[in-house]
Amino acid sequence: MSHAVATAGLFALAGALFLLPLVPAIAELRLKRDAQALNVIQQYAGDIRHFSFGFRSYAADLLGPLQQCVASGGTVTGTLPHGDLYILLGRADTAPLVRPGANANTCDLLVACGTDLTLSDGMTFAKEIYALRRLTGGSGCSYRAILGDASVDLARGSAVTRWAHAAGILRADHDCDLYGRISSEREIELKSGCLFQRLHAPRIRFGPAVALARGGAARPLSPGSVPLAVAEGRRLVDGDLEIAPGETVQGSVVARGKLWIGAGARILGSVKSNKHMKVEAGVSVAGSLISASTMHIGPDCRIAGPVIAEQEMVLETGVRCGFPSRPTTVSAPAIEVEEGVVVCGTIWARNEGHVTPKP
Amino acid sequence: MVYCLFAIVIVISIYTARHYWFTLNRLFGFQRHPYIDTDTADWPQVTILVAAHNEEKVVSHILAALMGVNYPAERMLVVPVNDRSTDRTREIIDRFSEEHPGRIRPFHRTGGKGGKAAALKDAMELVDTEVILIFDADYIPGTGLIKQLVAPFFDPEVGGVMGRVVPLNVGTNLLTRLLDLERSGGYQVDQQARMNLRLVPQHGGTVAGVRLSALKEIGGWNDNSLTEDTDLTYRLLLAGWKTVYQNRSECYEEVPETWHVRIKQIMRWAKGHNQALANYSLHLLFGKHRATLRERIDGFLLLGVYIMAPLTLFGWLLALGVFYEGIAPLHGVIALLSITAYSAIGNFAAFFEIAAAARLDYTRQRICLLPFLILGFGVSIFSVSRAFVSQLMAPLTGAQFHWDKTERFRTTP
Repeated sequence: MSHAVATAGLFALAGALFLLPLVPAIAELRLKRDAQALNVIQQYAGDIRHFSFGFRSYAADLLGPLQQCVASGGTVTGTLPHGDLYILLGRADTAPLVRPGANANTCDLLVACGTDLTLSDGMTFAKEIYALRRLTGGSGCSYRAILGDASVDLARGSAVTRWAHAAGILRADHDCDLYGRISSEREIELKSGCLFQRLHAPRIRFGPAVALARGGAARPLSPGSVPLAVAEGRRLVDGDLEIAPGETVQGSVVARGKLWIGAGARILGSVKSNKHMKVEAGVSVAGSLISASTMHIGPDCRIAGPVIAEQEMVLETGVRCGFPSRPTTVSAPAIEVEEGVVVCGTIWARNEGHVTPKP
Repeated sequence: MVYCLFAIVIVISIYTARHYWFTLNRLFGFQRHPYIDTDTADWPQVTILVAAHNEEKVVSHILAALMGVNYPAERMLVVPVNDRSTDRTREIIDRFSEEHPGRIRPFHRTGGKGGKAAALKDAMELVDTEVILIFDADYIPGTGLIKQLVAPFFDPEVGGVMGRVVPLNVGTNLLTRLLDLERSGGYQVDQQARMNLRLVPQHGGTVAGVRLSALKEIGGWNDNSLTEDTDLTYRLLLAGWKTVYQNRSECYEEVPETWHVRIKQIMRWAKGHNQALANYSLHLLFGKHRATLRERIDGFLLLGVYIMAPLTLFGWLLALGVFYEGIAPLHGVIALLSITAYSAIGNFAAFFEIAAAARLDYTRQRICLLPFLILGFGVSIFSVSRAFVSQLMAPLTGAQFHWDKTERFRTTP
């Protein structure tokens, strides 16, 4: 082999080695396998009812036949265009929900019912339930998803794995596990022992309504607009801050450290702390309440605006957040709510929310 | 000479470590999205400023998109800021205004100082809401974006908000694909890591918001700045206002499709950023103000990012000089280990960040294009260095700063 050939071969080899990492790059550039814009969902607005709306349109074709079943008092089974098997109940009879040969406690059909319906205990519903009238669950039942055009009552120990939406009141008895999105166009009521993630309704009531107790009522807030303008007297404190009991604070307050708000104080703006926030009984806040750490809200407080904690949040009995006419959001990764709390709007526990009995 | 080289190596090492810190935080750390779950509220009045200078190709798209958002219509006013346009921008804006009475109030600017900051400053006469959102005309906001950008303002510590920019014209050519990767790294990793670590997320001047009372407190828009967004970030920071980044508040934009336009864009960014470096770095580090220690350090490093290009070039020249002078700054095994370590880790810090971003975005195939980023970085390093030199020479040459508008390429009606 001549020197020239050897040199050329060496250069060719070096060139090939240099170009080797570029081969996948050139292939991708030419083939454009991943050249689409990142999928930003332009039309999805985060509405909690997104899936229930989607299911309603998916099941729209069943409404006509369902009305016929109600008129005849019969039961019809069939298959939807996407292949889902369904059953239409024209009368309150749960016997047809279990197919012959299948597990006696499992219904693997999409269920649509045109009358009031009471389900048996311990059932598992692998597909959605669409109830035109009142739906009463059995204890220990497990649901994938429920759409109710009237009220929905979940018995003790039930579980919802995806979503549930009711046009009427949605009640969950003790010890229910409510994963995903739970919403109502009227009211949600959760009893102690329930777990939740995302709830939305004009009024969300935890446990039975309670009389104001320990700290007495906070001074009333008007359901006017939540103040955002903080220019007039934003108070920024670099360390910890204590607001004296009964004190009235004009404007907003920001504490870079811990924040303690004494009982009966009144804040006519918004409040932020970067470390733990403790709000004593009977405090009222006209704006929002934000903690970059943990937050503990004492009994009978009134907060008009959003309530946000970046870590845990505790709401004691008697706390009221938002107004029915001006709903708000309560959010934190983990939320512990005592019975007796009312939230108007959304409560969103990204990891888990838990309803505890009133002490 | 060798000590100067050592100093540059130390600075480069700090930025390398910073890249890795951010990337590892983004991959394994706690992710902060404190306001994103606020989906129900008594939404405040908001003014949306749309900066438009000769934007006939794109302005109708953003106005149509804004008319379709789910924010309460009676609480939202769109103000297209038509800055001395000479094309059909005015006609298009006026047509939309007539079609949506009461929802769009055009601001037609026919004279005055050039630049986006000057235009926004003049448009403030139409603004009386506490929350102001700002978009460039080539952006296309989604249905829920306005609520997402407004939600952080319920926090009284927040003065500015920044959403994520997502290129729309990705597949056009090599440049757009490289810019898509750079944007991913910059937002998905860099900005979100700074948010996670409570450092200094940067206000980007578009897909962004600012609180009126905070803006007034810091003296309004700085129309002497070429990058009003960087300038705003630092003035808010010094006054004790936070800028927050919302990674899930994504909005499409159009990225430059030609290298010429890209070079002009990055040169303007570099000059504006360096202006902010000159104006705020010393005060930020040593002055008496409301920024925390970590914000001071990160803010200073952020101000220095566009200085790194000329510094790196200078370091290369110094390394050559040291070599030809016969000086051996390091000896034996230490030299070998240092060079090997830097080759294995240091050179790839930025690539690692971008690859991590692509992974987080579940867009695995485009990672194959990483080797081509050397080309993009090569162009950037020389463009940014050129901008730096021209800035240094400006007092001698008498050159004035001027605003270079980024050309648009969209052709769809």
